Amino acid sequence: MSTVQEGVSEQTGSRAEGETKEFRDRPWRVVVWNDPVTLMTYVVFVLRRILGYDLETATRLMLQVHTEGKAVVATEPRERAEVTVAQLHAHGLQATLARD
Amino acid sequence: MARIRRRDESVEVLVDRRERAALLQILERLEPMLDESTWAKPRAYEEEELEQEFRRLVGSDLDDSRSSDVARMRSSLESDGPILLSSDETWGWLRALNVLRLALAERLGLDEDGWEDRFSQRQHRRPPLATLHLLSWVQEELVEALAVP
Repeated sequence: MSTVQEGVSEQTGSRAEGETKEFRDRPWRVVVWNDPVTLMTYVVFVLRRILGYDLETATRLMLQVHTEGKAVVATEPRERAEVTVAQLHAHGLQATLARD
Repeated sequence: MARIRRRDESVEVLVDRRERAALLQILERLEPMLDESTWAKPRAYEEEELEQEFRRLVGSDLDDSRSSDVARMRSSLESDGPILLSSDETWGWLRALNVLRLALAERLGLDEDGWEDRFSQRQHRRPPLATLHLLSWVQEELVEALAVP
C-alpha cells in the first residue's frame, strides 16, 4: 500500500500550484458504498486497518453501509482523503470523495 | 477439504494438490476480468475532471497493487509444501480475493443484495457461482484466522 500513498504525495506539489490553501484544506467526505458481494466481516476488518477504528465503530459503519447503502467513514482534507480512498480501492471497497 | 487456520504469527492454508490447481485455474481465468471491471476499479469522484486527475495520480499504482496481490497469491499456491502466510501476505490474499470476487460478480450481473435467492441450489453448486462461493469461503476463513488475537 505504500506505493499508492506515495503516488498521491509525490504529485501534491504540481497540483497544489493551482489551488488555494483554503480549497486544499476544506474537508472532504470519504463515503463507502454498499456492494452485493463484499463480506461484512471483511469491511469491518478493512475499516479498522485503514482508519484505525475500534471494532464497535467499524461494525456500526459497516452496518450503516449495508442497511442504508452508504456511510461517511471519514472527513479529511482533500489530499488525505484521496489517500484513504486509494487505500480503500486497493482493498476492493467502493469508496468516493465528496465536498463536505 | 481445504482448511485455513492461525499458526503462531502466520496463517496456514492447508490445500491439497487438486485444490491448489483449482485455485490457480480460477486466478488465471478471473485476472483478465480486472482490467474491464468497474467494480474492481471504482471511481473516486463524480466529477469527470477530478476523476481524471485522481486516475493520473494513483491509477497506475492501484493497477500495480492489484496485479502484485494476485501474483503473490499465485506464487504462494505454486510453491511446494505448506502455505504459511505472514500478516502482510494474508492481507494481499484478502485484497486479491475481494477484487476478483467483485469482477466475477459484475460479470454475472449480481448487482443487488439478495442475489443468492435468484438461483437454485443446483445453480449455486455449479460454475461460475461455485467459484464465487469458494473464493468467499477462502476470504472468510482468512479474516477469521487473522482475527485470532
